Amino acid sequence: MNISASGTGPETPALSADALTVRFGGKTALSEISLSIPRGRVVSIIGPSGCGKTTLLRCFNRMNELLPGAVTTGTVCLNGVDLHGERIDPVEVRRRIGMVFQQATLFPKSVFDNVAFGPRASGYSGDLHVLAEEALTAAGLWSEVAEDLDAPAMELSAGQRQRLCIARTLALKPDILLMDEPTSALDPTATARIEATIHSLKSDHTIVIATHNRAQAARLSDLTGYLDRGELLEYGPTETLFTNPRKRRTEHYLTGRIS
Amino acid sequence: MGLLRRHGPIGTACALAAGAVLVAFLLLIIVLLAEARPVVDAGFLVDAPSRFAARAGVGPALAGTLWIAFLTAAVAFPTGLGTAIFLEEYAPRTRLTGAIESAIANLAGVPSVVYGVVGLALFARGLGLGASIVAGSLTLAALALPTVIVVSASAIRAVPKGLRVAAHGLGATKWQVIRHQILPAAAPGVLTGCCLAFTRAMGEAAPLLVIGAAAFVTFAPGAPGDPLTSLPTQIFAWTARSQEDFSALAAGACVALLVVLLAMNLVALAVRHRLRGGKR
Repeated sequence: MNISASGTGPETPALSADALTVRFGGKTALSEISLSIPRGRVVSIIGPSGCGKTTLLRCFNRMNELLPGAVTTGTVCLNGVDLHGERIDPVEVRRRIGMVFQQATLFPKSVFDNVAFGPRASGYSGDLHVLAEEALTAAGLWSEVAEDLDAPAMELSAGQRQRLCIARTLALKPDILLMDEPTSALDPTATARIEATIHSLKSDHTIVIATHNRAQAARLSDLTGYLDRGELLEYGPTETLFTNPRKRRTEHYLTGRIS
Repeated sequence: MGLLRRHGPIGTACALAAGAVLVAFLLLIIVLLAEARPVVDAGFLVDAPSRFAARAGVGPALAGTLWIAFLTAAVAFPTGLGTAIFLEEYAPRTRLTGAIESAIANLAGVPSVVYGVVGLALFARGLGLGASIVAGSLTLAALALPTVIVVSASAIRAVPKGLRVAAHGLGATKWQVIRHQILPAAAPGVLTGCCLAFTRAMGEAAPLLVIGAAAFVTFAPGAPGDPLTSLPTQIFAWTARSQEDFSALAAGACVALLVVLLAMNLVALAVRHRLRGGKR
């Protein structure tokens, strides 16, 4: 079944979860998460470390099932199609919903080969160089690497590496971009560049960012969800959540009393 | 002493140990060459064994060893690597998998003569291959297999988790992740371990003698079904004879064996170098 084909009307959320629960062994990592992510918006998931942000993101592109012992119940839908449906191939899901990880793990290959890896794996038949230039430009890295695409990716700086990871994911032309703590390992300058990149991607991408950086969530996102000990306590417009939280624990987190 | 001042007492002890190894190795070569000199001539590498030491050579044994090296690697490498990939990437993490893994690790320590007895029963008699090159190769492949599996599995296990996650995250299939990320990253470790396993197997005489390697093969084996002969078994056969000239022949054969093993190592080194360089 083609995931992107059906239900692309304006009312259908790009991504939605219903009663999503994840257990590792006997431990509940996420319980009864329900939320919907509108098309073309940036959504932040904030919360203290260990609250399940990464697990939630990994549910969205079925990365969790690669972890031994993970049991997922509930549904996750892309364009209204259940991603855990019988005829859905998890590999196809990961091509439609790209993910950038906290640790920028590059392949020990050239810059070009890193960007080309995803398209090659999915049998892309167009011009890889054109695609790579597009992806690198969108990730704000093109001007820095254009001269030597064959240079080893490992020689890039930390900030450049993370932008290469973003470019690598964009090369798949995904419907949704998931970013797990994309700047937590970076210095302020590199963080600012990544945030600028995310800003520029906003216009034609649906983006979900997990972050423990409250200010970053406030700066970047249209909607914010507060995740606490595996529960989505609050989810709504960023401004409302930051200025007028409904739950005590959200307020405590926002004011730094929970970290 | 300069050494002591520069490296300290422990460093000096280590340097002396390294020096002793070097001296021992040089002595080995020198003694072998000196021993071999009286009987080794231009024809030594191609001549067949003979009753007359002056006319004898290692031709058939050398060809046998090259055949065995090729066949052993051809059997043990794909089987061993495949098993390692299965155990690390596909097999469920159950107690059974754990038990199989430790059984394989234990097999790596089983004495080679035991493999000889198994080879005799299984390949030489069971499959009716007799005392042939192919029976010897299969036996040595069985001997090398546990080591190949253990080193390949640990090289695969050592590949950073992030690489797997990143490749899966970019929509690669399981096999694409293995083929394009895990195997290239594990290749240098796999190669080093396999090289050790194969050179050890090449130097084995005991299992081949158990199968029934002949001491007197007068023509170079041209097919896997030809009579089993190899440098180590030839060396053993010559050292068992009382005449002094034959121990000289044995020394010559030792030099030939060392050269073959060294060449195998150099090939592996070159391949490894290319793999590392290829990553750029």
